[in-house]
Amino acid sequence: MKLTRLRIEQLRQFRAPFEIRDFAPGLNLFSGPNEAGKSTLVAAIRAAFFERHRSGAVDDLRPWGDSAAAPTVELDFELGGQPCRLVKSFLARKRCELRIGTQGLDGAEAEDRLAELLGFQHAGKGASKAEHWGIPGLLWIQQGAAQELREAVGHATDHLRSALEASLGEVAASGGDDLLASVQAQRSELLTEAGGRPRGPYKDALEREAALAATLGGLDAAIAHYRQRVDALASLRRAHAADELEQPWVDCRRRQHEAAERLQAIQAQQDSLAAEGQRAEAAERRAALLRSQLEAWAREDQALAARAAAQAEALAARDAAAAPLAHWQARQEGAARELDAARAALRQARQQHARAQLARDAAAAAARAQACARQLAEAAGAREALLAVQRAAAASAIPAAELKTLRTLERQLAEVHIQRDAAATRLAWVLQADCALRLGEATLSGSGEIRLTAPASLELPGLGRLEIAPGGGSDLATLDARGDELADRRRTLLARLGLPDLAAAEARELEHSRLQQQLAAAQATLQALAPQGVDALGAEHAALQARADELARALADAGGEGAGDGGDKVSAAGPAPTAGDTPPLSVDQAEAAEQAAAHTLAAIQGERHRAQLAAADAASRLDAATRELAAARALCADPVRAARIAQSSAELTDALAERKALGARIEALQQHIAAARPDILQQDVERFRATAEELETQHRVRRDQLMRLEVELQTEGAQGLEERRAECARDHAQAARRAGELRRRAAALDLLLGLLQDKRRALTRRLQAPLQKHLNRYLQLLFPQASLEIDENLTPGPLTRGVESGDFEQLSFGAREQMGVISRLAYADLLAEAGRPTLIILDDALVHSDAERLAQMKRVLFDAATRHQILLFTCHPANWRDLGVAARSIDDLRAGAAQ
Amino acid sequence: MPVFLHTADWQIGKLFGQFDADEAALLAEERFAAVEHIAALATAHAVDAVLVAGDVFDAQTVTERCIHRLFHALRGYSGPWLLLPGNHDAALAESVWTRAERLAAVPSNVHLCLRAEVLRLDALRVAVLPAPLTQRNTHADLTEWFDAADTPPGWLRVGLAHGSVQGILAEDIDSANPIAAGRAARAHLDYLALGDWHGTRQIDAHTWYAGTPESDRFRANASGQVLRVVLGAPGTPPQVSALASGRYRWHDSAATLQVASDLDLLLAQLAGYGADDVVQLAVSGRCDLAGHRRLQQAVEQARGRARSLLADLSALQLEPTLDDIEALAADGYINEVIGELQAAQHGADLARAEAARDALALLAGLLDSRRGARHPGSAGGGQ
Repeated sequence: MKLTRLRIEQLRQFRAPFEIRDFAPGLNLFSGPNEAGKSTLVAAIRAAFFERHRSGAVDDLRPWGDSAAAPTVELDFELGGQPCRLVKSFLARKRCELRIGTQGLDGAEAEDRLAELLGFQHAGKGASKAEHWGIPGLLWIQQGAAQELREAVGHATDHLRSALEASLGEVAASGGDDLLASVQAQRSELLTEAGGRPRGPYKDALEREAALAATLGGLDAAIAHYRQRVDALASLRRAHAADELEQPWVDCRRRQHEAAERLQAIQAQQDSLAAEGQRAEAAERRAALLRSQLEAWAREDQALAARAAAQAEALAARDAAAAPLAHWQARQEGAARELDAARAALRQARQQHARAQLARDAAAAAARAQACARQLAEAAGAREALLAVQRAAAASAIPAAELKTLRTLERQLAEVHIQRDAAATRLAWVLQADCALRLGEATLSGSGEIRLTAPASLELPGLGRLEIAPGGGSDLATLDARGDELADRRRTLLARLGLPDLAAAEARELEHSRLQQQLAAAQATLQALAPQGVDALGAEHAALQARADELARALADAGGEGAGDGGDKVSAAGPAPTAGDTPPLSVDQAEAAEQAAAHTLAAIQGERHRAQLAAADAASRLDAATRELAAARALCADPVRAARIAQSSAELTDALAERKALGARIEALQQHIAAARPDILQQDVERFRATAEELETQHRVRRDQLMRLEVELQTEGAQGLEERRAECARDHAQAARRAGELRRRAAALDLLLGLLQDKRRALTRRLQAPLQKHLNRYLQLLFPQASLEIDENLTPGPLTRGVESGDFEQLSFGAREQMGVISRLAYADLLAEAGRPTLIILDDALVHSDAERLAQMKRVLFDAATRHQILLFTCHPANWRDLGVAARSIDDLRAGAAQ
Repeated sequence: MPVFLHTADWQIGKLFGQFDADEAALLAEERFAAVEHIAALATAHAVDAVLVAGDVFDAQTVTERCIHRLFHALRGYSGPWLLLPGNHDAALAESVWTRAERLAAVPSNVHLCLRAEVLRLDALRVAVLPAPLTQRNTHADLTEWFDAADTPPGWLRVGLAHGSVQGILAEDIDSANPIAAGRAARAHLDYLALGDWHGTRQIDAHTWYAGTPESDRFRANASGQVLRVVLGAPGTPPQVSALASGRYRWHDSAATLQVASDLDLLLAQLAGYGADDVVQLAVSGRCDLAGHRRLQQAVEQARGRARSLLADLSALQLEPTLDDIEALAADGYINEVIGELQAAQHGADLARAEAARDALALLAGLLDSRRGARHPGSAGGGQ
């Protein structure tokens, strides 16, 4: 395509017609300052091709303020060897005329033809946009857009391919990219771009199918479970019915009861065994009792023998004890005699002593009386009465101490008598009239009673003699002795007092008291009648006389002969005939002798007493033994006892026999019980009971289970599981069908897309080769040793310079601009080879290139201009001075046109 | 002379998953209509009883509504209905029958033969011997007891059973629920009413399968009818005649396209399908793109007319002719793609071959529509 003439009118600042003729077939350089109209010229060319003449979106072409303008572009060009003219008016006068050679076209037809020839599209509505521009969009570089290559190539690719197919043969497909896009879009609905995984409706269908399959599986499981339980229900019912019919627990209960009864029977036997055991024990106890009884009786017999022996022993002991007694008896008698002699001697000694004392007193008293009498003679007279009284009083006076002693003696003596009476052996007798017994010296006849204080011998005429020994022998002897002593002392005292007995003493005491009173009265009279001294003398005389008299009397009473004989000579007529040779003993000596004899006697008496006691003891033992022996004999001799012994023996035999019989029965019972195994029976009872209970429970549980299962199944049956499953299966089948269809569709689309892409890629590779060739031609001029790859969209890819490699976009702005230009030139070469029209327009391009690069680019452009017409508009004409063509100034051209 | 209707295999509650939901619903619905139709036939022919030989219900756990609907559908005939459980609705411990009784859905004139015991129809002097299934499947012959079953002398003996007669139906040789061949003779049955086989079939002079009254599958022959059975004197063969009861005709059709006229025949066949036809069509062989297009159009049209049409064209290979390709205005590498897809149809890789067929059809459609868009005036006309 070669532009030969351009004419514009009523277009922006070109209100007046403006024409450029004689375009060169190669390079055409137009220069002008800003606002000169360079871009308006480019815009006019673009509008002439791209915009429909009827478009209302071309107001920018209208001159400012001229609403009636009809912007007109008139182009003469040569296309495919034929001269063509395009005349296009907009807005006020919408017109499009095209003449190709001799063929003339009008309006839209003309516009469509142009688009087809040049490889672009018209906008359906509104202003034409980059996506419609196709090949011209690629080759007509707008101001400042040289570097924006990829988009322009993208819009042109399809046109490039179809345009190039002539040179490449019938390999390109018309509308291939649309088809591809359509297939890709359809595939994208079903599969992801990247991994080819299901998406959209395909994914939904798969998911729905899977979900329904899961639901179906669940329902199948539920139905299987339901069916299983229906079967379980049937078997439960059968088992239940069989149970109802057979009632197996009844048999178990019966067997349990049987076992229990047997167990009870055994337990009864066990009870009787216990009873028999008790009876055996009772028999045992009875036998033991009887045995002990018999043993007791045997012990009694033994005791009898022992008693007899004991009695014999006691007898011997008594005999043995009797011998010392006789010995001590004799000794005692001797001692008693000696004591008696000692006492007689003492008594004599005391009498003599008293007599001597009395004699001395009497003599003294007589002397004193005589002396006093003389004095008294002188005081006779009036005191006669007093004296008489005094005499009388004196005569009756008894010393109080002596009286007291006497009394004491008397009382003690009486007590001794009483004690002796009490201790004496009482012997009473009643004899036949003609009989008499001799007791000692006495003869006993008739009846009477005597108390024996000493052993006595009782002669039983014709029979023998009874020796009677009073029990309290020593006491009696003591008492006798004491009584004798007391009697001696009393006798002595009485003798000294000159009184016969105590009664006389008492009487004289009473008399004396009376006389004392008289004397007091007489003394008072004498005192009154006579002064004292004489009276006292008289009294003294009287007293002395009286005393002397008294003493004389006493002496006379005591042994007057002695006194009479002159005193100191002891009379041979004394009580102790043996004492004749012995000198009279002093009182002390006598007392000592008496005491010694008493002691001897006492000692002998003690021994005798002991012997006596031993004898008595032996005798009493003998008595006891004798009694016991008698008792034992009596016991053993009891005829009842013999009968009882015999009876007990018989009973013992019976008890033992019973015990034995019971033992046999107990053993039999034990064996029987052991054979019956009550423990096992108990276990049987337990086992049958447990079994029956288990069976009953099982029956009950089964019944409950049945009811529960029935209710469950009824409930679940009402849910229509299988119908739901059928519905689900239907839905699932449909979903599976849909998923299958989509799968097939996806597979078909995938296959188709793959194939289309493969084929397209192969085609692209075939297109790339010549483009690469043209591109490299220019590239070597600009960047020696560099290489640029072309991708499948025919856009420049990474640029490799030596070891460096980088994408087009990463180059500097200037480099990109340069690459954009050479790429377009390469496309133009490609199109030219395919016989397609090429026109290259550069509007103020390469302004960012440095001088060196610009110089290279000028070489490139000059080279390209040998194959293509190039229109280059610039505001820097100096930069292009060495391009090889002269720059034409727009302003000059306008001036020329105006002329 | 007692007259019965003999039917079986109603399969109430069956859904037809192979069809689209609306079509399946109509087919399922029609099964109730078939029962109503049987009731009407029974009344019209004034039969003495209706014998249903098993598989009344398709499943045990159908909805209550379904149960009620079925028994409600029986109301058109007030005479005795004898319903026998089959393998689909066996008289299990808990079954559709126990549910129906619990729901009080069973009318008084309907007798459920849930136990193997003689049922006396006194007025007719007929003893019915039912052999209900009490398990889903059994390998014992449940009609065995017929031989020794005691019936009043002089009465007619009618057996009612569900299963496969041994040795007669080849494909059911090892099937469950066997029935010994010659059972009618051995048990002195005047008639043995059988179910399970969905097509009407006579086994011997006294033994018949009634078949399902409304077809429910493509393979069963002679279905969609009930048998009218007229019994003569004891021992004499019954007079059996078939009465149509079904509505839908099920066609299982296969076509192989080799030459152009094959397609014409197939199209004529498709054109013949109407509203009561349920069709399953499998097309194999090969045809060009134009023929394929015509076939697809015809299938779509037939799908609109027929109750249901399942067409499987996956085995049909597309062989685009030069005319086809020219008509599609396919050029350049698209043409190459067409060639490759065509070749891939015959590849050993079946999945890829199928994908290639589909892709080819798809591409043809795309090209066709593009051409139509570009040249509205000339689309579809053929060049």
